[in-house]
Amino acid sequence: MKTYRVSFIINGRKQVMDVPANMTLLDLIRDELDLTGAKCGCGGGECGACTVIMNNNPVNSCLVLAPEVDGAEIITVEGLVKNAELDKIQEAFIENAALQCGFCTPGMIMSAKALLTKNPHPTEKEVRAAISGNLCRCTGYKKIVEAILAATTK
Amino acid sequence: MRIGNFEYVVPGSIQEACQFLLEHGADARVFNGGTDLVIRVRDGHWNPKYLVDIKRIPELKELSYDDVNGLTIGATVTLNQLGSLEVVYRQYPVLIEGAHVVGSLQVRNRATLVGNICNASPLADTAPALLVYEAQVQITGVTGERLVPVQEFFVGPGKTVLQPGEIVTKVIVPPIANSEGKYFKHARRKAVDLSSIGVAVLVIGKDGNHVDEVRLALGAVAPTPVRAKRAEALLKNATVTPELLEQVKEAVASDISPISDIRASKEYRLEISGVLAKRGIAEILGWE
Repeated sequence: MKTYRVSFIINGRKQVMDVPANMTLLDLIRDELDLTGAKCGCGGGECGACTVIMNNNPVNSCLVLAPEVDGAEIITVEGLVKNAELDKIQEAFIENAALQCGFCTPGMIMSAKALLTKNPHPTEKEVRAAISGNLCRCTGYKKIVEAILAATTK
Repeated sequence: MRIGNFEYVVPGSIQEACQFLLEHGADARVFNGGTDLVIRVRDGHWNPKYLVDIKRIPELKELSYDDVNGLTIGATVTLNQLGSLEVVYRQYPVLIEGAHVVGSLQVRNRATLVGNICNASPLADTAPALLVYEAQVQITGVTGERLVPVQEFFVGPGKTVLQPGEIVTKVIVPPIANSEGKYFKHARRKAVDLSSIGVAVLVIGKDGNHVDEVRLALGAVAPTPVRAKRAEALLKNATVTPELLEQVKEAVASDISPISDIRASKEYRLEISGVLAKRGIAEILGWE
């Protein structure tokens, strides 16, 4: 099977790999790099459980193909922890009980991270719009929205 | 989970892309945002041997506006990138409203406006806007370029006038003055859903309740996105009254040919299309 050499930055670290064309970015980070935070929920860009930040934008990693990441900068939820300290969004999720089963949580946090990086003081409406591509079956979203707003005051 | 079995090709120029696509015909597919393509390949609906990634061709990234040509949207401009040009909000609100309700936020960071029309779903949310703004589609092939008015671009569900070896390189939306418009995406959910009915309303030359012209375009109610010509005829140089709007609502139903499907029934679509057309005009005239 033909492979393609890609050179990209993931969670601040440079990575060079040979990848097949028919692997998604989600498969790449989970299976090849052991970054299992991003989840496969629907496999088709409708649930957001696979959300990662690529070139400063939240994207569904299940719809990006591995060869496309050449030259890209990618952040996953694992990249939010710095020097063994949680990102304030992660802390806010814990403090505000914004998760139950946790399956949607990495994707939710990455959408929140992308929002707060561009807009540090969003309104509640802007928060809801920012996570509108992330489905949660457990929480009813209220605590997630509260957590993201709480993170802005930390 | 591997999806499909294909090679990944990165042409350096538009001509290289067209040449490759012509040579390989149905075995090759253009790979742009990928938000429709990857799903079809995953499900086995499409089985290409080659994916031709056009996102690294510099000429296709253009996004610009000038008062003579209007708005130029290159093939690889994403739906969210469209919002980075402030003039789009002022001059083409119907377009930005349509573009910003496709899929989800994450999808809009990859999906492109040109990809949305090339996919040619009858419910494409950018299509009604492009129809009311009477946009042009620039198509390039190995033998040259051609410009196709957007209303002639769609020929059926999922079908366009694109020939083998041709790609859409840009969409050009002409300048427009003195207009106000909105797009209604009527769907089951507020986000991450396909339209049940899409209605674009553009009022031109509003003066109190008098209008020079109203353009109405609808998605998800016919084999392609359509203009509601009979309804529009009632509104040429018209003073709008509640009675006239009732006639417009009836006329819209005669301008469309919806089917019943998983999202809505034919009867619902016939009814709600007119309701939304009325509502759009009334809101723009400041009645509500």
